[in-house]
Amino acid sequence: MVEEFVRHLFPRVVLRRNLTLSYTFCLGGLAFTALLLLMLSGVLLLLYYQPTPAAAFSSILSLESSVRGGAYVRSLHRLSSHLFLVLILLHTLRVILTGACRRPRELNWLLGSALFFLAVFEAYTGYLLPMDQLALWATQTGMALLTTFPGGGALRALLVPDGVGEPLSLLRFYVLHILLLPVGALSLCFLHFYRIRKEKGVLPYL
Amino acid sequence: MADTGRSRRKFLGTLVAALGGLFLLGGYLTPRARRQRTLVAVPREELPEHGALVYREARVAVIREGGAVYALNLVCTHLGCTVQVFPGELVCPCHGSRFDRQGRVLKGPADRPLERYRVELRGERYEVLV
Repeated sequence: MVEEFVRHLFPRVVLRRNLTLSYTFCLGGLAFTALLLLMLSGVLLLLYYQPTPAAAFSSILSLESSVRGGAYVRSLHRLSSHLFLVLILLHTLRVILTGACRRPRELNWLLGSALFFLAVFEAYTGYLLPMDQLALWATQTGMALLTTFPGGGALRALLVPDGVGEPLSLLRFYVLHILLLPVGALSLCFLHFYRIRKEKGVLPYL
Repeated sequence: MADTGRSRRKFLGTLVAALGGLFLLGGYLTPRARRQRTLVAVPREELPEHGALVYREARVAVIREGGAVYALNLVCTHLGCTVQVFPGELVCPCHGSRFDRQGRVLKGPADRPLERYRVELRGERYEVLV
């Protein structure tokens, strides 16, 4: 059943020469795989993480010291988040260099750009969650940068109602990180994939 | 016989992978309980009536006030220096925090009392447990 579902995701006919690796380098697919890995390891981390300023850091310490595979799962989450961003950037580069962003596929280019910004924002919100010194000061810096943009003050007030590292702001970053941004990114991903199939008429591949 | 597209080998492979995955997941879901460790053991007769024994290496002081025996963690609650034990009080050499013999703060910058360890009398020895 699973196999049949997966089979339906792909086109019925594909040109053999378009399956060569150097055509797309599978960068988009690899980025999506990194996203799946992130979701898997993220769900496992959810079982131990406590989103309060007092308990956040100690919950991570206890995850690393007294949970079997805890440090592995956390490293996996962190590394695949780096990998995710790198792969998205390489994918963007490939799309630009092959001219795939030109008409009539500009909508998918816009979707992809939105996905890129969502991914960066997702990584940024995840940065605060461990509540160590690096997290706190990096978020402090980011929020200070945000206020230099026009309208940034209002956005900051929305993200950080009570100061970086205080209960409400941590909770908002947490909700963004585990619910709103992943759901948004996943929906955009499926829309992105749908547009690829939809515009297959202009594609030399697929 | 009809070809179902399923083979025994594939089924067994999936089964082994699923069982292995479940085993790892089970391990992840049951955190190791913190094991109690004996930090220091003090023979009963060595602890004077209103005295204290200081173990600088283990950063712990075992104090006896008449019948009550307790152990104070000598890590200053301010920034973690080892506090020094004097007859009347405990003083941190780094920033001058002072604590009384119970570990309560007499003078800052520390704002929390010294941590207490559990002490148990096992046989003829007091054991400090962490």
